[in-house]
Amino acid sequence: MTKYSRITPEGTKDYLFEECSVRREVENTLAGVFLSHGFHEVVTPGLEFYDVFDPDFSGIGQEVMYKMTDRKGRLLVMRPDSTIPIARLAATRLQNLPKPIRLFYNQPIYRNHPGLTGRSNENVQTGVELLGADGFRADLETVSTAVEVLSQCIPDFRLELGHADFFRILSKQLPVSDESRENIRRAIGTKNYTVLHEMLSGINSPQARALMELPHLFGGEDVFERAAADCPRELIPTLDYLHRLYHALSEYGLGSRLIVDLGLVQRNDYYTGVVFSAYVENCGESVLLGGRYDHLAEHFGPSMPSIGFGVNVDAVSRAILAHRSDCRIEPAEVLIHGEDGYEVKALRYFSELMKKKVRCENSVFRTHREALAYANEAGIRQVDFVGPDIQTVLTGRKK
Amino acid sequence: MKPLRIALTKGRLEKDSIALLERVGYECSSVRNKGRRLIFPAGGNRLELVLAKAADVITYVDQGVCDLGVVGKDTILEKGGIFYEVLDLGFGKCRFALAGPKGRDFFGGYSSRIIASKYPNFSASYFEKKAMDVRIIKIEGSVELAPLLGLADAIVDLVETGTTLRENGLEVIEYICDISARLIVNTASMKLRKKEIDELIGKLEQAVSRPEKAEEDVP
Repeated sequence: MTKYSRITPEGTKDYLFEECSVRREVENTLAGVFLSHGFHEVVTPGLEFYDVFDPDFSGIGQEVMYKMTDRKGRLLVMRPDSTIPIARLAATRLQNLPKPIRLFYNQPIYRNHPGLTGRSNENVQTGVELLGADGFRADLETVSTAVEVLSQCIPDFRLELGHADFFRILSKQLPVSDESRENIRRAIGTKNYTVLHEMLSGINSPQARALMELPHLFGGEDVFERAAADCPRELIPTLDYLHRLYHALSEYGLGSRLIVDLGLVQRNDYYTGVVFSAYVENCGESVLLGGRYDHLAEHFGPSMPSIGFGVNVDAVSRAILAHRSDCRIEPAEVLIHGEDGYEVKALRYFSELMKKKVRCENSVFRTHREALAYANEAGIRQVDFVGPDIQTVLTGRKK
Repeated sequence: MKPLRIALTKGRLEKDSIALLERVGYECSSVRNKGRRLIFPAGGNRLELVLAKAADVITYVDQGVCDLGVVGKDTILEKGGIFYEVLDLGFGKCRFALAGPKGRDFFGGYSSRIIASKYPNFSASYFEKKAMDVRIIKIEGSVELAPLLGLADAIVDLVETGTTLRENGLEVIEYICDISARLIVNTASMKLRKKEIDELIGKLEQAVSRPEKAEEDVP
């Protein structure tokens, strides 16, 4: 029988040294910003019932979720998303708190992607959810927080704004089946102008014409003008709202990073209002995803208009690491070796140096020779031998 | 400015892709005399061309190491992926078809069918839509052989003229959909390099909608 004991499953990996330290830096930076904005940390279980992520409203296909059963044979999944369980948590257990509820999380999600594409099936995400908050102020705060946290991690990125209403309102009035509506959504999402044209050019209505225009409507602030030219009346408030948000964000100084795409539709089904995502150069996927989801909580309890976003910590870390030329382990500055009978004194000396912020390592070797040989090999420049007194030996290794 | 990197499908679509790029004003002599190189500067360093197998074109664009790609709709349907499919380039035309031994009633009876195909995912979704119970066997080479040898009841394959089918006693049972070369774009590139990509798409779109006769004779 084949044993798979020496490899990790596809889509997973071991994180080593600098990968971990960069990831931790990113997590700390994000958590710092979120804490300073008054968000409180929560952790939801790694395992939840399948029903929490019902594909009917989650938009997460059942083939994407890792499944198992509990003792009673009920279906469990490994957490494929953080926003949905946090909506569950807030709707079921936090209703006595004053609204809005500000929560942040830092936890991995698991998704079974198609094989051999190099995508990770395990991804750490850090994000915020602003629950029980409706309206312009909440949207503005959340999008500007997204820009703020990302700029503290990576210097160069773009943030893209869209709105779920454009597609939803326009497609609602089309005389087509649910299946065709889904095909139209997919064609807009993939900017497949050919298919979209084939499906819609037969329908003579302002909505069909506006839908055909949707995937073209992306770029800078000029998009609003272009969209307004032929905008069905029922969408004018949405367009004005998004423009107002864009305008406020540029006034705040974020204009150079902003792009608009009114054809953003390939998102989780639960988004209901403004949606946004961020891209960095040389990274094919988005590093941040977010949006307003006003009806998600209703699946678990009382209705709660909400907005939030998640940062793909692993993708951000990769982008940072790509700019660093070499990844290696930083050796300790001093190796501390306690002579026979002086092991406890060595430990005391260790904590003294530690207080002075010297990075130390304790020698576990029996002899001087072994300790020196190790220091040499590991690139540790200095060995302190702790006996009746302390002797310092330099290994001559350049760091 | 970094050049836009375009992955072109080697073989059947290669000549037409290069001719189209030249027609809209990108000089491509380096690809025409390729030697052993794999990446070719073109259009005075505004572009960088990569030649790859069809499925790899999708992989490179999906993962963002190429900004754009030219690939057949057949490969897109079979392999899927995340990218924008922005333009039907109008060449490399053929059709997906279900074909089987001449004169046999494929849809009659109750027994489950065996289908041979180079496109197992596409075949599976086609029969799924028909709610038919089939078994699909993946074949790498001439799929027409499978029904002749008695391995399969029918095949799902690309059909251009139908000559190969006729010569082997097979016929089209049903045409499934039209196929042609498509221009695909990485989702992040589309946003980050909108101006250059828009300009390129615009030029290609114009050229495709108004074909010139002269370009047919390029050797």
